[in-house]
Amino acid sequence: MESLGEEPWDVVICGTGLQQSLLALALSRSKKRILHTDPNYYYGQYEAALTLQEAESFAAKHAGGSSEAEKKRSVVRNAAVWKPDDAEAQGLKFPRAYSLALAPQIIHTKSKLLSSLVSSRAYRQVEFLAVGSFFVYEPAKDGSDPKLSRIPSSREDVFSSQSIPARSKRSLMKFLKFVLDFESDDQKPLWEAHADASLTDFLTAQFKLEDDLKRYVVALTMALDGKASVRSGLAAINRHLTSMGMFGPGFCAVYPKWGGLSEIAQVACRAGAVGGGIYMLDTSATMKPSGENEKASLELPNGITVQADSVISGQETTASVQAISRLIAVVKSPLNSLFQVLVEGAPTPAVAVVALPSTPSPIYAVIHSSDTGECPVGQCVVYLTTLATAGSKHELEQALVMLVYAVEGEDSTSPCLYQLYYEQALGDRQSTTENHGTTPALSFPPLSATIAFEDSDLEAVKTAWSLVSGDESDEDTYLVFEDREGADAEDEVYE
Amino acid sequence: MASTHGIARTNRSRTDEQRQQDLDRIQKYRDLDDQIQLHVKQSNYSDPTLFHLTTKILRLNPEYYTIWNVRRRCLISGSLSKRSAGLWRSKASPSTSRSVTTKPSCAASSPSPSAATRPAPATSPSPKKAGESGTIPDEEEADPCNAGKEEEKDGDDEEADIAADTSLVQSELAFTIPLLIEFPKCYWVWGYRSFFLSLCDAILPAGAARDFWAAELALDSKMLTKDRRNFHAWSYRRFIVSALESTTTKNDGDESAKAKSMTESEFAYTYSMIKVDLSNFSAWHNRSNLALRLLDERGADDAARKKFLDQELELAREGLNVGPEDQSLWYYHQFLMDQITTTVGASSKGVGENGKEAKGLIAPNLSLADRRDFVDREVAEIKDLLEDYADAKLIYEALLEYGIAYRAMGESDADTANQDEMMAWLAKLKELDPLRRGRWDDLEKSLQA
Amino acid sequence: MAQLQNLPDELQLATEAHVKYIQNLDSRKDEYEYWLTEHLRLNGVYWGLTALYLLKKPEALPRDATIDFVLSCQHENGGFGAAPGHDAHMLYTVSAVQILALIDAFDELEKRGKGKAAVGKFIADLQNRETGTFAGDEWGEEDTRFLYGAFNALSLMGLLDLVNVDKAVNHIEACANFDGGYGLTPGAESHSGQIFTCLAALSIVGRMESVEADKLGKWLSERQLPNGGLNGRPEKQEDVCYSWWVLSSLAMINRTHWIDRNALFGFILRCQDTEKGGISDRPGNMVDVWHTLFGLTGLSLLGYPGLDEIDPVYCLPKSTTQRILGSKK
Repeated sequence: MESLGEEPWDVVICGTGLQQSLLALALSRSKKRILHTDPNYYYGQYEAALTLQEAESFAAKHAGGSSEAEKKRSVVRNAAVWKPDDAEAQGLKFPRAYSLALAPQIIHTKSKLLSSLVSSRAYRQVEFLAVGSFFVYEPAKDGSDPKLSRIPSSREDVFSSQSIPARSKRSLMKFLKFVLDFESDDQKPLWEAHADASLTDFLTAQFKLEDDLKRYVVALTMALDGKASVRSGLAAINRHLTSMGMFGPGFCAVYPKWGGLSEIAQVACRAGAVGGGIYMLDTSATMKPSGENEKASLELPNGITVQADSVISGQETTASVQAISRLIAVVKSPLNSLFQVLVEGAPTPAVAVVALPSTPSPIYAVIHSSDTGECPVGQCVVYLTTLATAGSKHELEQALVMLVYAVEGEDSTSPCLYQLYYEQALGDRQSTTENHGTTPALSFPPLSATIAFEDSDLEAVKTAWSLVSGDESDEDTYLVFEDREGADAEDEVYE
Repeated sequence: MASTHGIARTNRSRTDEQRQQDLDRIQKYRDLDDQIQLHVKQSNYSDPTLFHLTTKILRLNPEYYTIWNVRRRCLISGSLSKRSAGLWRSKASPSTSRSVTTKPSCAASSPSPSAATRPAPATSPSPKKAGESGTIPDEEEADPCNAGKEEEKDGDDEEADIAADTSLVQSELAFTIPLLIEFPKCYWVWGYRSFFLSLCDAILPAGAARDFWAAELALDSKMLTKDRRNFHAWSYRRFIVSALESTTTKNDGDESAKAKSMTESEFAYTYSMIKVDLSNFSAWHNRSNLALRLLDERGADDAARKKFLDQELELAREGLNVGPEDQSLWYYHQFLMDQITTTVGASSKGVGENGKEAKGLIAPNLSLADRRDFVDREVAEIKDLLEDYADAKLIYEALLEYGIAYRAMGESDADTANQDEMMAWLAKLKELDPLRRGRWDDLEKSLQA
Repeated sequence: MAQLQNLPDELQLATEAHVKYIQNLDSRKDEYEYWLTEHLRLNGVYWGLTALYLLKKPEALPRDATIDFVLSCQHENGGFGAAPGHDAHMLYTVSAVQILALIDAFDELEKRGKGKAAVGKFIADLQNRETGTFAGDEWGEEDTRFLYGAFNALSLMGLLDLVNVDKAVNHIEACANFDGGYGLTPGAESHSGQIFTCLAALSIVGRMESVEADKLGKWLSERQLPNGGLNGRPEKQEDVCYSWWVLSSLAMINRTHWIDRNALFGFILRCQDTEKGGISDRPGNMVDVWHTLFGLTGLSLLGYPGLDEIDPVYCLPKSTTQRILGSKK
């Protein structure tokens, strides 16, 4: 450990959030001297997956600042855990039996994140599960029970659907075909003039879609405010449709087992360590003032000071007021009907997505089966997200009850064994760079708190990589690696 | 030299390093090949080294068909020789003259009786252990992959033989799975598997053989999930199904044929494949193939047959409702319409008609009025598609086709085959589909004739 | 053909480049691929040589060396393997016969090889006397490709009487489907490649009476896609090789005018590597001799200027089949 401070590091990475970790992966074959620290004793930071114990300390840490102003600036705020008094009696298992994902984003099969994991060979360490059906919650009406309607999102879905009348199917097909091709010169004239207008109005005007179908389409945009513009909505639906079937029948997105993006962050850090990076958890590195012609110095807790040619960290505070509310709930039944295999040859899905109508903005519930490894068999974990308002915690709790009722049918007013609630700032979308002496320091923006992973979050990683790599950077080698020797046990059979 | 499909044209020049890499690989490959050729020249088929060499080279190049044959000869000369000697003697070495002209037995789902009595040509080295009944081949000679063998070392009963053969078949099938997945269009890999499965029937008890066939059907489904149009996999599926149907018969001979048939489950399988991809004509084709058998096995009466036709037409229409540009759906619809418009035994076409007669019709006893009703309804439904899909040229093709077939059914006052309308559809086709102009011109002539 | 004169340069046939490409195929022994494809060597000679004949450069490969190579692939039993040391198989035996037919060298087969009779016997022995179809070799894989190959080679050698033609024809008829096409085996889906083999086999023995020409012609003409290329089955991608399978089939039922000639010309010509020669499956992909031949046969069938005429049944120049079969054709 004495050697830590002796010579300057090429780069000190503070925090093991997804972006910092991907940077470590990107640099893992660079021969650079890398020190990678994290203030927590677990990996992943705001993208971590937490045991119930960790969830409790997370909630305590992010319950709020000493002042309202401070609270507003922190990325995670108003966190709290809750469980019924007799949770264990109702079935709650030991704390390490759970792994609550702070970043439960689904990853579309088309996402650049996946292609980067493949090209960098890191995917071999990750087990991906299929994201299955997308549903819309239909409230009770005319005496009928509330129910979940599956959103048809391919020609075959529309074909199989029993609930859509024949003529409506044709309008929906026309729209789906249009979206697949919406960026072509043939189709652009149809929407470009309305690019910033509301998608809902566009659907009415151009495709004469009926209300039910419009709700399906809008739900698929997964826009948290429920008000996708024509441009962003078409792009989101296009991503959804073109991702369908890419890795096999019946699914358009995947989810990493054992805690979502946390798992990817850990695998990326592991690659960093294999590449020679030094990892220090439970270690906060604090920037010290430095002179104009000096390299930046960072102080570690045990009094050691290290110097760095570049420093990469994540933004801990934000000017942004807008936030999402998230409720992570352990539910005491498995909600099996959400995870059915619907087409021949499809894998059993481990994740389902439900859009629940709500004002002022919709609520998205993403349900994880125990196949994700996030909870014991017989239970499931529900991640509910909506734009934060004063009453959103209550709304999410209500939505959970409604959802479980719609699936299970029985009157279960307290389906929840454990819950973690918090609000997360949507943040600025830009990384910030400043100089400490001669050392450039880049801070990643918080990850988009969306339902599906956004590729735009990868841009800052590449910026950081270019910054650290300097003149040596060759774009073609970014996250493109050969397997390390012995990594590919399967192929050895062929020798 | 090979046919290359779907590989982007790149600069053909290689760096010195790449060139050297190629030369090294060539050296390695040719060394392997030379060693094999040497063994083959000396007819060393029972030498386990040769068997291992075939494993190595086939993993590099499963298209090298001769090596598959060498591998088979190794097994015939070694572990398999005892129980199946009669089946294989003539094949134990290559290029022997074939005096036998019966169907090669390994392609049959059950060996033909003549195969067993096939004379062993004098030029063929008799497999080492063939005569010594009851002896287990030496450990050295056995396929070393064949783990099951060891336990059976001191048994000299048939059970031990069966266990050894079972484990050998198992290991050969396991060997080819990764190759099949990597080279799903390689005829030889499919052929090699079917060879061993057919062998199962010849040398294993029916129950054990059936397990292999059942596992093979599951593998085939997997292959069809990966590539749902792979015609090897579809053909292979029909081969497996017919084998499964006949092995069951062997097992419990007294049950009725209907109980062993897999027609219902295979018919259902086509639907599940269609639900994944409406454009999967391979599935629609198989459905059309199974339909008649299904009805026969159900013992369907005329009403049930009519209802079946109704349901299938509705299925096709549901598909067309969301995919009017899809040829697969139209071909299935056309198949059904042919069933309605064709009169048994009333065509000028000789064998085409005979073929149909041999195969029968879904609902052979429909009255002319029924048939007209069917066509009238379908044509009306198809016209309705034009409301939303005026530019889907296949709609016009279908309307013309069915109109012409309707006329051929006999005089009628219904305007399903109205001449003006048909000419208008044709005009639309010419506009939408200029590539097939010559065909439309010919059609125009025949319509005006 | 007037429109063709106006085609831009890249849509002109790069004859010189293609000849060079084929001539150089055997000089690529420092490429791994060359060795991996040894099992196609004899076919490759047939494909290359036929392509050269179509390009009217029959002398571009040395005749003597070709005969030597072909005969070096023959086995005692009369059959041919892909290369010396490779087992005898129908596919290579047919290629050998076609090459010898092409270069008018059946006499060499008698003098230095095992003779026509042995070849004929090898082929005839592969007929399944129960069903009439043919296996590829002693291991028994059967499909209509082998049946066609047998008819093709036997008829070129005048030995068709060695096999049961009626049974074979019945077998082909059993492979017919409701769409007018033919499959690999009875019950198998219609496929352009199999349609070609079945139609050609029926043509060779003059037994086309069962062919539903209109229905089949419709199916075949629907293989042409908007980019001009042809696919092999419904809802599949286009590929240059179907220029041959589909088009020759249309030719055998006299309906090549049911597709757009210029559109197909354009597609095939866009698949050329105009610089280094050769034709690929689709524009921009790697070329190979197989697609080179079938691109050229496609152009030839549609009467592309400057190419020798191809026989749609035998896939040999018409001059060759006329020389051998004479008035029988």
